[in-house]
Amino acid sequence: MKRHGDNSQGVQAKPMTTPALQERFQTLVDEHKKILYKVCNAYCRNRDDREDLAQEIAIQLWQSFGCFDERCRFSTWMYRICLNVAISFYRRESTRTRYVLSDEDRLLNAIDETANQPVEIQALYQFIDGLDSLNKALVLLYLDGNSYLEIADMLGLSETNVATKISRLKQTMRQEFRGTVRA
Amino acid sequence: MLDLDELKHQWAEHDRKLDESIRLNRQLLSMTNLNGARSAMQRTAAFLGVEAAVWFAIVMALGSFIYDHIGIPKFAVPAVASDGFAMGMLIATIRQMVAARQIDLGRPIASIQKQLETLRVLRIRTTQWGLLAGVIVWAPFAIVVAKACFGVDAYNTAWLWANVLFGLSLIPLALWLSKKFGNRMGRSPFIQRLMNDIAGHNLATAKVHLARLSEFEGEKPGK
Repeated sequence: MKRHGDNSQGVQAKPMTTPALQERFQTLVDEHKKILYKVCNAYCRNRDDREDLAQEIAIQLWQSFGCFDERCRFSTWMYRICLNVAISFYRRESTRTRYVLSDEDRLLNAIDETANQPVEIQALYQFIDGLDSLNKALVLLYLDGNSYLEIADMLGLSETNVATKISRLKQTMRQEFRGTVRA
Repeated sequence: MLDLDELKHQWAEHDRKLDESIRLNRQLLSMTNLNGARSAMQRTAAFLGVEAAVWFAIVMALGSFIYDHIGIPKFAVPAVASDGFAMGMLIATIRQMVAARQIDLGRPIASIQKQLETLRVLRIRTTQWGLLAGVIVWAPFAIVVAKACFGVDAYNTAWLWANVLFGLSLIPLALWLSKKFGNRMGRSPFIQRLMNDIAGHNLATAKVHLARLSEFEGEKPGK
């Protein structure tokens, strides 16, 4: 396996020293911070839980960065790590020790959080919240504009299976929000 | 009515705004923070490593004891029973370590979640069998420890059998207690997890999750 080299988004191919690797890592995570934010928001309702998950993901991303395969896009790899950690976190959430964090200790800070989100986005998060951990991942990847093929690659499913599941989720959503008036 | 495809456009709009509204604390992504921190996976691996080292030391010590007392059945037999238990625990721990090392979270989600759940099942089964067999094995192990550490001959057939039978009778009691009061015993997540492991609640949950994963992975179109 090639390590921390080039990918389709232009990561350097030659081996990097640790500070250079660290800098590259920080830049890439910064560029894709929205993935981190959206995954944490979809899997945790509570702000402190979201932050705990964000930090757990960041640690895992850094520890796996050395094994990042250049044949894969950074966003695809980051989605996989984020979702794998989030699903595991969600599974053991009930037995976890919770920490209360100050703003300086938070990895991600969003200015508007949920209060200023449009009502449709809030409803969407509510819908995602009601799904099981695997379907949460599916909806998130679909909403982020990934093709069925890309979703299938990230989840490890067939393209037709993804299409079937998405169509079923659309149906579920239509039934769930039947009669909901647009704001 | 809200539709997923309509919401996809709103989501894209929301996505554009996120770039401006999210601030990433790069300080927390610094070398000191990241290199010093341990992920849940690493903590599990480290714990398994320590556990394997302890079981290995016990297996070696018991092996040495058996060698020294091979001609004295009253010590050799309890030591062999204890060694068998310790070897079983060592093998189970090594299997977990190997399974944990094979997990690469950068690979597709369905297969990694299956690997993680299989590892969880392995851990729960090891805890269940370890604790349940432990209540029987402790008596012969006590004889070995008394002889090896203090030079005391604690062998007494009646005492040994009484303790083995007492241990056996404790198994259904432990199962019943953990099933009945597992969720109420203390606030410690560790104790709760242990009780749920013994009661089989965690194993049942893990099996349900595995079945769900298989269904999610292999569902046929139109099913």
